[in-house]
Amino acid sequence: MKHFKLSYVYLAVVFLLMYLPILYLVFYSFNAGDYMNHFSGFSLRHYQDLFSDYRILEILANTFIIALLSSLVATLVGTFGAIGIHGLKHKGLKNMVLSLNNILIVSPDVIIGASFLILFTIVGLRLGFMSVLLAHIAFSIPIVVLMVLPRLNEMNPALVDAARDLGANQRQVLSRVVLPYIWPGVLAGFFMAITYSLDDFAVTFFVTGNGFSTLSVEIYSRARQGIDLSINALSTVMFLISLALVLVYYVLTMRQIKQKQVGSSKGGK
Amino acid sequence: MRKQNTNAFTVLYYAWIILFVILPVLLLLFESFKNINGQFTLGNYRSFFESGTYLRMTFNSVFFAIVVTLITLLISYPMAFIMSRLKHAQFWLLLVILPTWVNLLLKAYAFIGLFAKQGTVNDFLTFIGIGPQQLMFTNTAFITVAAYIEIPFMIMPIFNSLVEIDQSLINAARDLGATQAQTMRKVVIPLSMNGVRAGIQAVFIPTLSLFMITRLIGGNRVITLGTAIEEHFLVTQNWGMGATIGIVLIVAMVITMYLTRDRKQGGK
Amino acid sequence: MAQPIIEFKNVAMQYGETEVLKSIDLEIEQGKFYTLLGSSGSGKTTILRLMAGFLTPTGGDILFNGERINDVPPERRRINTVFQNYALFPNMNVAENVSFGMALKGKSKTEMKAKVAEMLDLVKLSGYEDREISELSGGQQQRVAIARALANEPEVLLLDEPLSALDYKLRKTMQYELRAIQQRLGITFVFVTHDQEEALAMSDWIFVMNDGKILQNGTPVDIYDEPINHFVAEFIGESNIVPGVMRKDYLVSFAGKDFENVDGGMRPNEPVEVVLRPEDLDLVPIDEGKLVVTIDTESFRGDYYEITAHDDDNNHWQIQATNQAEIGKRYGMYFDPEDIHIMRLNESEAAFDARLEQYDEES
Repeated sequence: MKHFKLSYVYLAVVFLLMYLPILYLVFYSFNAGDYMNHFSGFSLRHYQDLFSDYRILEILANTFIIALLSSLVATLVGTFGAIGIHGLKHKGLKNMVLSLNNILIVSPDVIIGASFLILFTIVGLRLGFMSVLLAHIAFSIPIVVLMVLPRLNEMNPALVDAARDLGANQRQVLSRVVLPYIWPGVLAGFFMAITYSLDDFAVTFFVTGNGFSTLSVEIYSRARQGIDLSINALSTVMFLISLALVLVYYVLTMRQIKQKQVGSSKGGK
Repeated sequence: MRKQNTNAFTVLYYAWIILFVILPVLLLLFESFKNINGQFTLGNYRSFFESGTYLRMTFNSVFFAIVVTLITLLISYPMAFIMSRLKHAQFWLLLVILPTWVNLLLKAYAFIGLFAKQGTVNDFLTFIGIGPQQLMFTNTAFITVAAYIEIPFMIMPIFNSLVEIDQSLINAARDLGATQAQTMRKVVIPLSMNGVRAGIQAVFIPTLSLFMITRLIGGNRVITLGTAIEEHFLVTQNWGMGATIGIVLIVAMVITMYLTRDRKQGGK
Repeated sequence: MAQPIIEFKNVAMQYGETEVLKSIDLEIEQGKFYTLLGSSGSGKTTILRLMAGFLTPTGGDILFNGERINDVPPERRRINTVFQNYALFPNMNVAENVSFGMALKGKSKTEMKAKVAEMLDLVKLSGYEDREISELSGGQQQRVAIARALANEPEVLLLDEPLSALDYKLRKTMQYELRAIQQRLGITFVFVTHDQEEALAMSDWIFVMNDGKILQNGTPVDIYDEPINHFVAEFIGESNIVPGVMRKDYLVSFAGKDFENVDGGMRPNEPVEVVLRPEDLDLVPIDEGKLVVTIDTESFRGDYYEITAHDDDNNHWQIQATNQAEIGKRYGMYFDPEDIHIMRLNESEAAFDARLEQYDEES
């Protein structure tokens, strides 16, 4: 029993260390003073600063537009990409496509950023909204594929046969059987893509020009100037948004796990 | 057999592979053979391997990455093990994942406040009698922040591999006379090696390329491959050299993945 | 003879180099219960998938009511399938599963509702409309799968080992129910199984398959009593198979003795295989027996004793006896002339049928 107590202490300490810096940020966002030390009284003035800062609000809007648009497109392309990969009969070819798919996931952000920068410059695309959007779509697609593919692999192939057998054409098979089945995976992929997009700094930093900025890039340039407590206020807002997204994602995966259990109880060949 | 349903979006997916996966890598390789005036040259590679600066920087970067990986591994393995024995393991896992959803830059920014001369950590050091230290812009600061950011990515795969271990295997080991420590050494740790390998991959490679942390916490010194790439592409505009370092980084990545591959299945 | 509803003419199926089906000819008639019987890899499921339209044959023709349907996709065939693991759509409830085919055809809500109720009644699941698939037991899922396939009003229902996932008792019940449903609806069922007992219990007509070929087809009684060769005899129930010689018509020699029997039409002194079913053998006092055997083992099987013994020629025999025997003791073994079944070596099914017909005419 003593043994167990010690492990709980360890657990608590690590969790504390993991959350302390975040809570620290949140705490000082309510500081009446201007620094991240010596709390001089509760105030919401940094939030007022934040929400009256036109530039930040515009960047916030940009960031969410990029996240939503890129995730939407990436989900569409990635889902059908996964269906395409799933349908490949040749095993070697399938593995090759999967390896290519995973390159952007394992590559360091700087490499992705630098190589996209070269790509956009050669094509002659002006750096800004479009280049950032394309880059975000590009690095989100493989994530969606990886979220959707397991659902497809789990699906009993006889379901497709059954639908065809009962009179469904290819389109109806897709819309009535395959898509509803893989839907939790598609949604999870969409949310993953959103968070990847919201979280990305390095790739955006490379392919964004002078005129366009996202939240990460803005935080970076402000943080390089030193402490600014409106960043703390911003991080509190971002943390709450993350929390909400995690909750949605958690509910989705739980539902997926539940369905999985149902699926496996039926056996399947 | 029936013809494969070729959908317009599936075609887009393959276009993506060509345009955004294969082409950029080729372009990066191509760029690395260009000098600053755009002529074809092997000079970038020559100066990389001949000048002590680049080699020392690469060595430093690898060294820092190894230190960060080791620290995270030492903290994460016991953590993952304890978590995997708990009742609501998935909930605790969620608690580990949650900080990764906070923007990495915000986490780095928190440490600017913590590590400042008048910052909270120095207040604490003064309080226990050590006295204030220069924390910002030191290697220790960089290692601390990098380790802090990477810990969840080490815990997650190890946790997953530990949870997957069939409890009856552990019972069997105990039944056959192994002590708790022996069970740990002979059964649990070997079976969780896949998770450890995945964790090393997930920590080591990004740490090689973490340029924003070095900029914010490590001072303006170029101490990782990532910083060097950023510097060449965005500051000095010497893309050729930047691309060369990029290729070196890719090679380092491939070597890491090879060394930490799943041995039983011959790499997966 | 009536127009067959499904006809295979010289159908072959190849995957690359591997030949899964070799020149299959078969005819399926309206309103009967057919069984494709064979072990896994025998090609029975391939035949089913060819009928359903999931596969296109690499050779030969498949006819449906006399029309060639080789390239007709599954959704345009009036044939439906009950899949091995049921393949019920997990995102739909029972009613939605059953009405899936009708919904695709754009049938009205009321029409669908009536049909769903009718089908669920047929499979004894009335009132289960709103249940989720995950809430059903294996047996209930099985019934929904049958209802779903039948709701499409197929002319032929294909069943791919539908009972293999059920436990023994449930399987027995479903055998009776499937047979009852088929007789009530009067449509054709084509049933695939590897279980010979199931095949014998349910079918009007059985195709025994092995290695991509139909070895024998006939009524369950025909196939049980007159297996064409060693494989079929072994596959359909337990058999004693010993080598013998056909001295002349109606006289066969095996185990060192000559016996009167009822087979003919073979060359004099032709080497053959002799089949005797264990349940046709009786243990009697030595002087009343046709052969003398020594008992080796005995085990109680509930309604009979399973006995193994050997004769003086060292042939081994399986005997199902109602009375206990003593191990190591010698007994007489008795059988009737009509219990002896003769199999010629390498006889084709056509030659076999011709010989049987000839012999039937003669007797």
